[in-house]
Amino acid sequence: MIDATVREPAKLLSSRLVVSKGFVTVGVSTVLLFVVCALVAPTSVSGGAVLGMIPFAAVLAIVGLGQMLVVQQGGIDLSIPGAVSLAIVIVSHEPDGDNSRLLPAVILALAYAIGAGLLNGFMVGRLGLNSIIATLGTNALLFGAVLGISGGTPRSTTSLLAGIAGGLTWGIPNSAFFALAALAIVTVVVKRTVAGRRFEAVGANPLTARATGLRVTIHQSLAFVWAQLLYCLAGILLAGITNQPTAFQGDAYLLPAVAVVVLGGTSLLGGRGYPIATVIAALFLSQLDQFVLSLGVPYAVRTLVQAAALAVGVALYTVDWAAFRQRFIRRSPRIGTPA
Amino acid sequence: MNNQDTVDVTTPDKVEPAAPATLVMSNISKLYSGVAALSDVSVEILPGEVHAILGENGAGKSTLMNVASGTAQPDGGSITFEGTPIGVLTPAIAVQLGIAIVHQHPAVLPDMTVLENLQVALPAEVLSSGTSLEATATALLADAGLSVHLQDRVELLSVAQKHLLEIAKALALKPKLLILDEPTAPLGQASVDLLFERVRRSVSNGTAVVYITHRLAEVRELADKVTVLRDGRVRGSARVVDITDDELLAMIVGRKLESTFPPKHISSPDDEANFSINGLSGSGFANISISARPGEIIGIAGVVGNGQSELMRALAGLDYFTGTVAIAGTTLNSRQLLQEAAYMPADRHREGLLMSLSVRENAAVSALAKFKRGPLLSRKRELGTVAETLGSLAVKAASMDSVVSSLSGGNQQKVVLARALLSEPLLVVADEPTQGVDVGARAEIYRILREVSASGIPVVVASSDAKELEGLCDQVIVMSRGHALEVLQGAAISEERMIHAAVRSTTRSVSVVADAEASKHSGLRRFLQGDYAPAVLLVGVIALLGSFLFSQNARYLSDFNIYSVLTLVTALGFIALGQTISLLIGGIDLSVGPLAGFLVVIGSFFINDDKSVLMIVLGVVLMIVVAAVVGVVNGSLIRFARFTPIAATLTVYIALQGFSFLLRSSPDGYINSTVTGIIGSQLGPVPVAFIVLVAATLVTEYCLKKRRWGWRLRATGSNEESARRNGININRTVVLAYVATSLFAFVGAVMLMAQIGVGDPAQGVGYTLTSITAVVLGGTSLLGGRGTFIGTLLGSILLVQVLNATSFLGLSQMWQYLFQGLLILVAAIVYSVARRNNKRRKTSFALR
Repeated sequence: MIDATVREPAKLLSSRLVVSKGFVTVGVSTVLLFVVCALVAPTSVSGGAVLGMIPFAAVLAIVGLGQMLVVQQGGIDLSIPGAVSLAIVIVSHEPDGDNSRLLPAVILALAYAIGAGLLNGFMVGRLGLNSIIATLGTNALLFGAVLGISGGTPRSTTSLLAGIAGGLTWGIPNSAFFALAALAIVTVVVKRTVAGRRFEAVGANPLTARATGLRVTIHQSLAFVWAQLLYCLAGILLAGITNQPTAFQGDAYLLPAVAVVVLGGTSLLGGRGYPIATVIAALFLSQLDQFVLSLGVPYAVRTLVQAAALAVGVALYTVDWAAFRQRFIRRSPRIGTPA
Repeated sequence: MNNQDTVDVTTPDKVEPAAPATLVMSNISKLYSGVAALSDVSVEILPGEVHAILGENGAGKSTLMNVASGTAQPDGGSITFEGTPIGVLTPAIAVQLGIAIVHQHPAVLPDMTVLENLQVALPAEVLSSGTSLEATATALLADAGLSVHLQDRVELLSVAQKHLLEIAKALALKPKLLILDEPTAPLGQASVDLLFERVRRSVSNGTAVVYITHRLAEVRELADKVTVLRDGRVRGSARVVDITDDELLAMIVGRKLESTFPPKHISSPDDEANFSINGLSGSGFANISISARPGEIIGIAGVVGNGQSELMRALAGLDYFTGTVAIAGTTLNSRQLLQEAAYMPADRHREGLLMSLSVRENAAVSALAKFKRGPLLSRKRELGTVAETLGSLAVKAASMDSVVSSLSGGNQQKVVLARALLSEPLLVVADEPTQGVDVGARAEIYRILREVSASGIPVVVASSDAKELEGLCDQVIVMSRGHALEVLQGAAISEERMIHAAVRSTTRSVSVVADAEASKHSGLRRFLQGDYAPAVLLVGVIALLGSFLFSQNARYLSDFNIYSVLTLVTALGFIALGQTISLLIGGIDLSVGPLAGFLVVIGSFFINDDKSVLMIVLGVVLMIVVAAVVGVVNGSLIRFARFTPIAATLTVYIALQGFSFLLRSSPDGYINSTVTGIIGSQLGPVPVAFIVLVAATLVTEYCLKKRRWGWRLRATGSNEESARRNGININRTVVLAYVATSLFAFVGAVMLMAQIGVGDPAQGVGYTLTSITAVVLGGTSLLGGRGTFIGTLLGSILLVQVLNATSFLGLSQMWQYLFQGLLILVAAIVYSVARRNNKRRKTSFALR
């Protein structure tokens, strides 16, 4: 025991590239999936299929990044359907086909998003409500706004937005660039700025964060605002990608958004977030859809595969596999109490 | 240091007992991760005697009692109870034998009432023995000197009252062996007298009592025999009358010193004080003053739980205080202290570390602003500074990227220290800095604290280890029950002086709450704090809305409208009743909606017009079986695969949707019209199914409040650890709760089946969120432990009523959503604010 104090310990190092378990799992699964696709259903990796898949993967990735920020603070955001739908409705209804009115509409959508984020943040961060309830209520209010603006009828998007969100640059869908930009911003801000690092610390343990003097409430509240801004971006893109978006387009994104966050390795209990893995998980789920579609199997199988992926994904993190193996290899010797 | 043999001034008592000893523990040893907590301990507890166990913090008293009550299994030695050798002692066997233990931290269930706490803990026959349940329970409480109202929520009791409740639970079992672990710590004088009186009465009836304490005065007052433990060994045992205080003290002190301390600071008399606190008072401590010169370390001594931690938290800026704290002549308030003081909490895992993050992130978190270059963090600067600090503290880890939870206790504490140093604090506040730290690392932590102090930063160290304070500190405040008993300086700082002061103290708690006083809550307030206030509120809202709608349109109360509204309520109502069960245990079930849809799809294969009665019955049975299996899967994923409830039930949610579409890709399979007719039959304007729903609500409500089944659910949701200590099987309760949730979803599915009349794979999903909404409207807490089925039923009614109202008033769908959203948010905010007010009332109560 004494020698420990005498010996000069080696200086601790830090590797530049830290590869998370989530990144490896999701990354390898995605590569495998593409390989299987190429072998079993080549049409699912044809140029047209991939070009068709990428925009939806991009939207899911952006929504997933938003959900990840909320999950990092130990919350969950059920207001995604309303938020995405509202952004869609605002940017398609307000301009009514007039390109010059697109920018004001986008600004209006962002204003709504900030409002919704502040409402969620105030209720969860400040009033201490459970995030499930607070965001459930906000979701209903957002749908109220959706119907108030649209009256429930779809309207086609402006040609400008369709060009921006749905167009191609160098043969790649523009939406992919938006998703990559969102990923880059989230990653840099969360991992490389003071505020971002504090944000992760608050999520990992609010009590410790408070004891070190961090402003816990602010970080917890703002998570919802950042998330809403991302949902808004996703909604705007979706409005451009689909020609005549419906008022309930956002409904389809709630569960996949939670699924990609979980698959990416972010714990539902909060803490560190894995933005890159989350985005890859979005690609994985979207390609899975594509694969199943090209095989011609029913929608049901696709859903079941999603569920299985989710279960395996969560179990990888939650189950103590080492202990599990041990239990089957040898029974721990019973400590007897000699009488 | 002292050799054991030289200190032993007395020999164990040799008087032969008339009856066999109640409990004999011979040569007990117990290791915790290789460290001996007990070695070769032998104690004999006789009936009709109070046997005091004395010793310092960490002497092994609590471990010995955990062995005696079956909570911990010894690594060696034997246990004999009333002459019969006991092979393996478990908590269950201990209860059967008649061993009752009162823990230092009461195992009470905060969300349940006093009466329910008794009912959960005690066998039914104990409470049913007297004339009425209430009378028996009140008598049991009075027996322990507690006179609170039986219907008060335990959450609202003071610490002392919770303690008395715990004692009442133990006494009610009429144990043969009663173990009291520091029972008087939170109690006022009157309660202590009452407790002693009660203990003497039990003893005269032949009960054997083990009394763990730090205080000589209590030993003298109550005990017949005393055994002193030190370093996990018996230092001596004697009859109380045969031994003097000084002899006892000599046995308690003189622990072997394992670490070396850095030399103490030598201050010159003309140094100015750079740190002073004056008249500091707060929750749990009062009127503490001291001042220190640069280079001096201040120690806070005393038996654990005498206000030291509260004082430290106040100094760290985490808790409110009055009085002044000045550093280098500047007075700092709480907010400034929170920013400027570096706090090292006693509970590292809970409050000191970000357990899931890396060593680097933990160390850097308080100094991030210094690593900035432009808007971003400079990796180089961060790594350089952090590595240097970690190196100077000799932190041993695989790399800076190692998760901090993988480090040993000593290295974890050094990471906390590194964070403290990197933040360049004005003050270092260290609560139990060497707890759970190995010997080598201890010496280093002492050295670092000394260096910090020498650099001019004031250091305050609280420790339950008097020897440590003796070696480390230049001034020591000895605290007892929140007061500063003495301030020791220089040569006067010795373990002996500290322990003398602490064990001889006869002060009483600062927060001398009226523990035994009857609660003054009025009936009205009790009702408002109770579970049924939301229900009454909902009835009011439903009636108001209903009469408004009726005034607008008389057809609102037409038979047709009543029938259609109530029919819609039935499907939602049953599913929401199930959801209530999941929320009561502190979980959530997202899969109820898809499950209901899936069950309808299954039914659509069997329950058709052309099928025989047998096939229809088979279909129903299959639906029940599938529902039960889904419940088992949900519960097992949560309890055994450690999924969070959301992750588990979300997975099942998606899977069930898949199964629905697998069986039917589009709506098909028309439901048997006779069956639909039966389910939809009505009594006047009211659907029979609705009457069944109301009956089911009342029955489940009754079970929830009056049956063990319901108590178990609420106990599990209220506080899992306490529930376990009350003998509840948590795994079984949770899995069965999810099964019950699924079975209610089955009944809801039957209603749904009759309403949609066809197997539609897309139906039902929406019921997940609607059911949660209904439950929350009904006042059930998402944190678990409290809620009512009646509230859920009313919540379902209100929800359907609001949807119906919008169409009745000719409002657009927009209003449907807006109303629904506002309803949820208003309800959630109102309930949570009401609950917070209750809590605040409780805290202010404790502060008095």
